[in-house]
Formats: sequence, structure tokens, C-alpha cells
Amino acid sequence: MSMSHRTKLAASVFFLGFVFATSGALAEGPQFKVDPNWPKQLPNNWIMGQVGGMTVDAQDHIWVLQRPRSLTKDEAGAAQNPPVSQCCVPAPPVMEFDAAGNFLKGWGGPGEGYDWPEQEHALRLDGKGNIFLAGNGAKDQMLLKFTTEGKFVKQLGKSAMPFGSKDTNSVGRVADVFFDAPANELYLADGYGNHRVMVIDADTLGFKRMWGAYGKPASDENIPMYNLASQQFANPVHCVKIASDGLVYVCDRSNNRIQVFQKNGSFVKEFVYDKDTKQSGSTWDIQLLPDKNNTYLLVADGTNNFVRVIRRSDGQVMSSFGHGGRQPGQFHWVHVMAVDTKGNLYTGEVDTGKRVQKFTPSMTP
Amino acid sequence: MRKRFKAFLLGLSAAVVLATSLPAAAEGPEFKVDPFWPKQLPNNWIIGQIGGMNVDAQDHIWVFQRPRSLKDVDLAATKHSKCCQAAPSVIEFDSGGNVVSSWGGPGYNPDWPDTEHGIFVDAKNNVWLTGSGNKDGTLLKFTRDGKFLAKFGKQGPIAGSQDTNSLGGTASIALDTQANELFFSDGYFNHRIVVLDADTLGFKRMWGAYGKTPTDLKIPNYNPKSEQFANPVHCVRIANDGLVYVCDRTNDRIQVFQKNGTFVKEFPIRPETRGTGSSYDLAFWPDRNQTYLVIADGADGEAVIVRRSDGQEVGAFGHYGKQVGQFHNIHQIVSDSKGNIYTGEVDVGMRVQKFTPNRPPAK
Repeated sequence: MSMSHRTKLAASVFFLGFVFATSGALAEGPQFKVDPNWPKQLPNNWIMGQVGGMTVDAQDHIWVLQRPRSLTKDEAGAAQNPPVSQCCVPAPPVMEFDAAGNFLKGWGGPGEGYDWPEQEHALRLDGKGNIFLAGNGAKDQMLLKFTTEGKFVKQLGKSAMPFGSKDTNSVGRVADVFFDAPANELYLADGYGNHRVMVIDADTLGFKRMWGAYGKPASDENIPMYNLASQQFANPVHCVKIASDGLVYVCDRSNNRIQVFQKNGSFVKEFVYDKDTKQSGSTWDIQLLPDKNNTYLLVADGTNNFVRVIRRSDGQVMSSFGHGGRQPGQFHWVHVMAVDTKGNLYTGEVDTGKRVQKFTPSMTP
Repeated sequence: MRKRFKAFLLGLSAAVVLATSLPAAAEGPEFKVDPFWPKQLPNNWIIGQIGGMNVDAQDHIWVFQRPRSLKDVDLAATKHSKCCQAAPSVIEFDSGGNVVSSWGGPGYNPDWPDTEHGIFVDAKNNVWLTGSGNKDGTLLKFTRDGKFLAKFGKQGPIAGSQDTNSLGGTASIALDTQANELFFSDGYFNHRIVVLDADTLGFKRMWGAYGKTPTDLKIPNYNPKSEQFANPVHCVRIANDGLVYVCDRTNDRIQVFQKNGTFVKEFPIRPETRGTGSSYDLAFWPDRNQTYLVIADGADGEAVIVRRSDGQEVGAFGHYGKQVGQFHNIHQIVSDSKGNIYTGEVDVGMRVQKFTPNRPPAK
């Protein structure tokens, strides 16, 4: 490439960047800016692995479910026998942070009397002192209920039991759990093994109902993914979230779409994003911004490595932020998100990303 | 489990000691991450592992990164996604984090290294490059804007530490402007320091640990008293007073020489370190006397500040990890004239960071 060509290219890219920056300011919906000071350095020489799940509690504390077993020997050098370096020791799987980035408490891991997941993925609080956990490992056919202090309460299914999308006594590698307080029901994005949304009672963990794509009965047929019109959810069914008006949003990640349902499983509509995306798909997680009407959705895309700001009424993309990479505000496999009552966004990354980040909004909800 | 718990307690007490004694008592400068350097790259670029870094006379930061270390998941072409395109191998940044120029990459030159590693930009605007791959025996010389000028050595099987016609996976480059000599830490396969004439590129001299004749004997590493440099001989830096500092990375030590190769002294850097070793690279604190060395400790994930006079550790910053200001395999460390520190990470770290000092260097 000649120098003049290169200079021209650089100039045009520069110009494009300028246009983006100015049109960004005009875009409808909030803009987000990384807060590089969150979280603070972890105590105890801890290091964090892949971030399977995140959620925010009523006090705007951020709960992180991370994967200690995803750390390499180099990362967990002080935990090797003999130690290979001063750093580090794996942090506990469940960690609670405040909005300023202070670590508050942590617990979790394999123990007596319950089947801790092989690969930590979903966590959700019920606001009554309980936390629900699930995993996406090959043997993770269970959902666990603990107190927020880490005391085991109850379990649905068990490790390595037979499972399938018709089964009501087990789950199939659940990616996400949502708690619907008015009905005291749990919605499961189920998952990496099954192809359904499953609803259970939050107290008894008893089965209530389930459905597949378009609200039809779920099946485990082998249907190619990257298919926007697929009559089935692909694996993984990766998120489930409920808006203030009762609409249920489901991430059909590898089909690059979001399907919307009523709580009874009736199909309402669907949105497709970056339809040509391959690999792990374009719709990884959803968060509802906390204004009264949940006017905007955020959709995390770990393949394209950005977060979209979407108008909930029609699914239009208003703007997006982030870029592939390891610098602050960039993403490597942005996997899960959480939003607090002030509209602050928290993100967690998997694969070799292994970090959490905070973003502050340009406007209060 | 008991051992692990003990290690955990050790880590805990070490953390407490660090927290209480170091910042308060630290005699050296302290550093804070500047999270907004660099700016978002243009052209949808993404950077891979940071092989080399250098600061030029204008305080511009040169980064020699590895496009081929990027995985399918990083690149748009393989996943039909919007992100990203691999950036060129050589990128020049200003201290504000803007890209000033960029060029190079696999195929840019017939002898382009398999694994980008050493970079040095001299005051005459020449850019010198070396690599650490299996076949990387070549030194390449370019103009500042990427025009090929000259080379030394050749690509191919590495010929060993006695070979005076080629290099062996050279990790870093330094220039003695007075004598117009180039110094190489050579390297990932050879076990020596090599000195060339910077104009003719003719071989001048070489030496191994303690200034002795280098050999390629198989000697166990993690030995701060080893009679030979371990692989990789990972840095060579020349202080203003003419002392030559060499990172013997997996022997967890720094050896110090005169320019003629006479051994002067050595000091261990966290000698209990295993894994990939503790002494990856070093930058001089740019006060008049270059009072401190800031050492990139890749295995421990910290930048370690030691007194240059006696190698005593007086402070450290960073922590292993992916968050801002942490390090995942910190590999390169450079300082500019104002005392800003720039770092680069390898393995899956793949980023550059800037740290600002709490006080300017005394000139």
C-alpha cells in the first residue's frame, strides 16, 4: 500500500470516527462510559476466572458468579504445589461487591450435601435472602438454592442425571435464571443441553410449565443453528429476563435473535441482530434499563464484542458501545450483564476475558 | 490442601506487609494507571501479544505486536462478525494515546520474524526489529516509516551461541550511541549478549553469564547462580553511566556488565519464582542518576521497583489479572523522559497500559 493511500485511509477513518462521535451524542437512549476504577483490587491475593453470571440486589450490590477452575496454572501460581509465583489464589465462586467496587463477601464451591456445578453460570437473588445457582457443565443437570450467606437450602435435579427438554425433574445445563416476584416463579434459560424456557415454583422448585421457540413444545431435534427462522431454540438458550410489563425476553444466542413471550409462554414477537454472525452468535445477555417503562434494552454480544442499546418497543438499535480487545471499556467475550437502580451497567467476560467492568450512563433513568 | 492453605496464608501476610510497609515507607516513585491510554485504535484494529516496546527521542511509544497471536475469536473474518481486523505489527503512539504511524506484519519483508519481539528506534530514525520464533535469526533495519534498509543474519535453523553470522531468537535490542554499537539479548535459543557495529552490522563481540564464553549446554534454570544464561536472555538495556543490564529471565536475576562484557555484579529478583521467571524486562527511572530500575515480573504479575545501586526492592505495583492496572503476563516495560511507564502483555494479555508517576524525575 502506498503511503498516500494509507494516509487517505487514515484520514477517512478519522473522519468516520468523528461522525460516529457526533451522531452518538444525538442518538436516542443513554450512552455509557467505562468506570475504570471499579472494582478495587481484590483482597487475599485473589484472582478471578471467567464470569459465568452477574446480578444486582436491592441495595445495588453486585453479585458475581465466577469460575475458579477456569484459571490457568500461571494465573493461580500461588495455589500450585509448590507455588510458582507470588500470585495468585483463586477467588471464591460467589462474590458480592458494592457500587464503589469494594469486595463485601464471598463463598461457594463443591461441598457436602449438594452438587456444586462443574461450570458456574447462572445466579439470581429472590430478595428474600435466597440465591439460585446453576451451571453449564456437561453434568450440570441441577438448580441450587442457597441463602445469600452461602447455606444450602434445596436442589432440583442432580449432577449427571439423564436429561432432556421433556424432563420436568432435571434441567439441562441452565444458562440463566430470572425470579418473577409477583408469581414467586423462577424462569430458567435451559440451556446448553436443553432447548427450552422452564418455569418452576421458587419455593418448592416444582415444575410449572415450559416452552420452546415460538412458544411451541420444546424438542431436542438436531436443527442447524444460525437460522433466524428456526422453529426451535438453538443451544445455548442463554438468557431469560422479564420486563416491568410482564413480557419475557429470551436470548436464542446461536440463532442471533431474541424472542419475546407472555409469562404463559405465548409467543409475542422476535428481534434479530447482526444476522450473519457465526461462532457463538450475537445475543448473549439482556438487561432492561430501569426507567418505569423499561424503555431500553441492552443486548450483550460476545462475538461482535459490543453492547447494543435497543428501543424495547420495536427492537431498533439506538447505539452501541465497546470494541473487541483487552483495554478498559473493550470486551473479550462479553458474556453477562447486570444493571443497578441508577442505570449503572456491570459486565462480565468469559474465555480469556476473565474480568468485570462498570459503565456509567449519560442520563439517570 | 494444607500446603495450598499455607501458600494462601503466606500470600495474605505478604499482602498485608506490602500494604502496610511499602507505600508508606517507599523511597522510590509510585505509579498509577492511566486507564485512558491508548485511545480506541482506528480501522477496527485489535492488537495481539506485545512482543516489544521502545520509547523514541520524542517520547513516542513504539509497540511491536503479534498479529498472528490473535485467535479466530478475535478476528471478524472467521466469525462473520463486525470485530476485528489485526493491526499492523509496528505501531507508533504519542503520549496522548493516538496512533501516529503503523506498518509491517507477516509478509511485509521476506525475513519478517515468525514471532515479533525486539524493537529499537534510534535517534537517526532507524527502526531495528528482531523475533523470537524458531527460525528468527535475523535483525532487520527499517526507516521510521517502514522502508527496508538492511539486515544481519538469516532466517532458518538457529546455529547456536558460537555463530557470529546470525542471531538466535533475539528478545531485545539496545544502542550505545557513543560507540555506535548495537547490543542484543540473544535470546530464546542462544545464551549470550551479542554486539554489532551499528553501521556495518559486522560482528564485534559476545559473552555469556558472568562475561564468560557463552555455551549452549543444557543447564537447569531457576538458578540465580547459574554459570550460564538460561533461555530466554530476555532484555539488554544500557544505563547513562555505561553499565549494561541483562535480564536472565528464568534464572530470576539481573546481571550487570561493562560495555566490553566485563562482569560487574548481579542481583536476584524474587528468586523463589518458577514458571516463566521474574526478570522479564526493565526500564530506568529517568532521573539524573537513573536511581531505580522498574522490572517487569511476568510470572508474578507485578512491576517491581529496585534500587539500581544494590538491587534492593523498594516498591511494586500491579497484580496478576485482567482488570485495569493489573497484568496478565507483563512482558515489556519502558519509560519516557517524564517518568511515565508503559507496559505490554503477552499470552492472552494482549494489551498496553500507561502508568504515571507521583513525582517527576529529578533532572
